[in-house]
Amino acid sequence: MMAKELFPEAQEIRKGRIRIETQKDKVGEIIKKLKDNSYEHFVMLSCVDWIKEGKFELVYQMWSYQYKEHVMISIKINRDGESMLSMRHLFPQIETYEREIHEMFGVNFIGNPNLKEFILEGWPHMPPMRKDFDTEKFVKDFYYKIPEVKEE
Amino acid sequence: MNHENWSKLARIMSKRSLWMIHFCTGCGAMEMPPVMTSRYDMERFGMHAMATPRQADVFLVTGYLAVKTLKRVVQVYEQMRDPKYVIGFGSCTINGGMYWDSYNTIKDLSKYIPVDVYIAGCMPRPEAIMDSFLKLFDMIDKGEAIGWQKYHKYYDQYKRNQRMAFSYRLDEVKDIKEDDKE
Repeated sequence: MMAKELFPEAQEIRKGRIRIETQKDKVGEIIKKLKDNSYEHFVMLSCVDWIKEGKFELVYQMWSYQYKEHVMISIKINRDGESMLSMRHLFPQIETYEREIHEMFGVNFIGNPNLKEFILEGWPHMPPMRKDFDTEKFVKDFYYKIPEVKEE
Repeated sequence: MNHENWSKLARIMSKRSLWMIHFCTGCGAMEMPPVMTSRYDMERFGMHAMATPRQADVFLVTGYLAVKTLKRVVQVYEQMRDPKYVIGFGSCTINGGMYWDSYNTIKDLSKYIPVDVYIAGCMPRPEAIMDSFLKLFDMIDKGEAIGWQKYHKYYDQYKRNQRMAFSYRLDEVKDIKEDDKE
């Protein structure tokens, strides 16, 4: 069955591109239902920072080889420390995406045992992909403050 | 023959058999294949790529460096044997280039390891790279390429800067500064 038949509330953005907006406790069953209905490719998990609303948007993207259709499952969680359940029991590759989002946005995923540092090494500051991280100020305070080597 | 003449002779002999460590970062890695292969053919200068740092004389830092890469660059540079020469490649090594406001790339390579020759441009053409090799030969001939001596002489300052970039822990950096004062 195609995603539009499975979930009547889904919007069709254009042909072959479906978007489902839902709550965070329903994500697991939606992914499982799609997986059982030929949407067997988990493309990626991405995160968007909507700073004015105070929300993080998590987008789970799936693809069906049979219908050539792309489904995006979107949820919103609060920016200030709300955590999300890990979906790694459904697709093992989600573990790495969650690890990256944990590092770059600071979202906590309950049930993921592997949320250690990924790309950044020893980073004590705010996660750098959040919108309230001021990159230019950070660079001026950090890299430009390192003194030049003085030759006598 | 006295010591000065010997070192002059050694410089003349060594400048035409420089081996380059094959360590590519950033976009400069794309400009190296035409330089190394038959189109521009850097082997006619006696240079070729070498896989191990201990057998190499020249280090081309080809482009931007993330802090994580800088750790590896410093490790490779310290493994190379003296005399060793560094060529900073493209505007990213001079002042950060288009990554001037990136949170994770260093801005000025000469704060962390001594650089003998810089090539400007984003990216420099192979002609510019060949020109920098000739410039480096000229500097070696005149005894001006003394970056490796500077690294010994100002080792504490280079190490302090490297630790400031690596550790991210400002309390630790403060301790190092106090050590320097003593």
